[in-house]
Amino acid sequence: MFDLPLSTTLLVFGFPAFWILYTLGFLFLTRNWKRDEGNGAGQGDAP
Amino acid sequence: MNPTVLVFLVLYFVVVLSIGFWAMRRGAGGDLENYLLGGRRIGPVVTALTLQSTSMSGFMFLGAGALGYVEGYWGLWYAAGDIGGGVVNMSVIGRRMRKLSKLTGSLTPIEYLEKRYPSAAIRLIAGGLTVFLLGSYVLAQFIAGGKGMALVTGLPYSVALLIAVGIILLYTYLGGYLAVAYTDFFQSLVMITGVLWILIAALVEVGGLSAANRAIAALEPSLVSVWGRDLGYQGQWGIALGAVLIFSVGYMGWPHVVTRHMAMESPSTARKAGGYATVWNLLFVPAPYIVGVLAILILPEIGDPELAIFEVARKLLPAAVTGVIMAAIMAAIMSTADSLLLQTGSIAARDLYERFIDPNASERRMVWVSRLMVLAIGAIGYLVALFQPPTVFQVVIFVTSVLGSAFLPAYVCAVWWRKANSPGALASIVAGASAAFLWQFLDLEGASGLHPMVAGLLASTTAMVVVSLATQKRHPVPQAILDLMAESANLGTAAVEPR
Repeated sequence: MFDLPLSTTLLVFGFPAFWILYTLGFLFLTRNWKRDEGNGAGQGDAP
Repeated sequence: MNPTVLVFLVLYFVVVLSIGFWAMRRGAGGDLENYLLGGRRIGPVVTALTLQSTSMSGFMFLGAGALGYVEGYWGLWYAAGDIGGGVVNMSVIGRRMRKLSKLTGSLTPIEYLEKRYPSAAIRLIAGGLTVFLLGSYVLAQFIAGGKGMALVTGLPYSVALLIAVGIILLYTYLGGYLAVAYTDFFQSLVMITGVLWILIAALVEVGGLSAANRAIAALEPSLVSVWGRDLGYQGQWGIALGAVLIFSVGYMGWPHVVTRHMAMESPSTARKAGGYATVWNLLFVPAPYIVGVLAILILPEIGDPELAIFEVARKLLPAAVTGVIMAAIMAAIMSTADSLLLQTGSIAARDLYERFIDPNASERRMVWVSRLMVLAIGAIGYLVALFQPPTVFQVVIFVTSVLGSAFLPAYVCAVWWRKANSPGALASIVAGASAAFLWQFLDLEGASGLHPMVAGLLASTTAMVVVSLATQKRHPVPQAILDLMAESANLGTAAVEPR
């Protein structure tokens, strides 16, 4: 892609793709933080 | 100097100074928590952008551009980790550190360490080490600011440096953390506008990324590889790993960055802040490295590679846009320098002066001591920067490697590992700092194939685990701290946080 060797393509585009997935996973797992915090109760410690 | 560029720069300086005055009027200097942490009322957007703009220093416009220009796509190893730095920070320690720091009443990241690992030695060693390292880091930002201002304004370096340092000092002195966080927010927007503008201009100039890559490969094929010019880093996975780690997990060991967690308005702020940080990083982080790579074609003969991005902007963009780019470059430098200055000043005041010299100092007196420390460190930094020590890239990599190695296990284990005790934390800080320092001082990177960050982290993590386990019986973690750790793992705030 973009006339780059495969390894360079993975470096340039693979890492950002990984971080996007990581962030989406984080947002999904923590979707109840605000609500639970508002309740004032201990609701576990994810993630 | 072009008057249009000057107008943009002056406008930019007026805005940041106005934010400083605004923060002062909002009572930033009222008490120490207000001055050092903005009263712990910073929301997710500002938290994310102050975290990122503080982390992305003048290095991004000088060091990153130079790395791309000299080593080609090798530099993207640093960007690869950097993109995830914000969300890693927020997801691993953000919420818990915010909560634990509030529960313990800690106002600086070093005080936080002493409250979690009760030991005066921790405060003294961590405080002294941090003041030295962050002081050096401030110096690198001053040099970057002076170079940039001198290049664009045509003023002598010493005068340009004085203007840059004077403005940073003024708003940091006046508005404390609130001024720093909100100027960082504004500066992060300027930074992203500037860098994307110059990236687009550079891509247009070279006929697109594919055409540029073909042309660069024709000049020197190794520049489009992941192993640097002449494949100088070929197979050196230990160095590549360090490049990824230093700006991803490494952030968690930087006191001036983790302070952002302590200043959040609530523990759950970490969630949205992590998301915003990733969006900002995806747009911003790779651009300076790629502009540096494209500069190989645009300006094949640059005397100082650290000026690659400055020179590309000057060559390709009209004066008005160059003004925006210059403001962006100054924003990157100043947004880091102000945080470093405030942090160094507050650690010197709170963790060294108040803790060891004048424990009975009043809140009001401590605000003034913090301000005086900010002024003193700024003045010392200015004087040393006049002598122009090593390149910005060298100083930044040195300092960030040592900081990350020294403090990362201590901050992470503070909220995640109940057996992490004071001797373990002390050993970890000393071992990590020593290993990362010696690795660079003795130039062991080439011989060992290990980045200083990897060597430092191995040493600090091993020391934390081995010493904590070996000393559990004689130095157990106090029950009160274990209780606070358990509390910090809970999401609820209303019942537990002191107000």
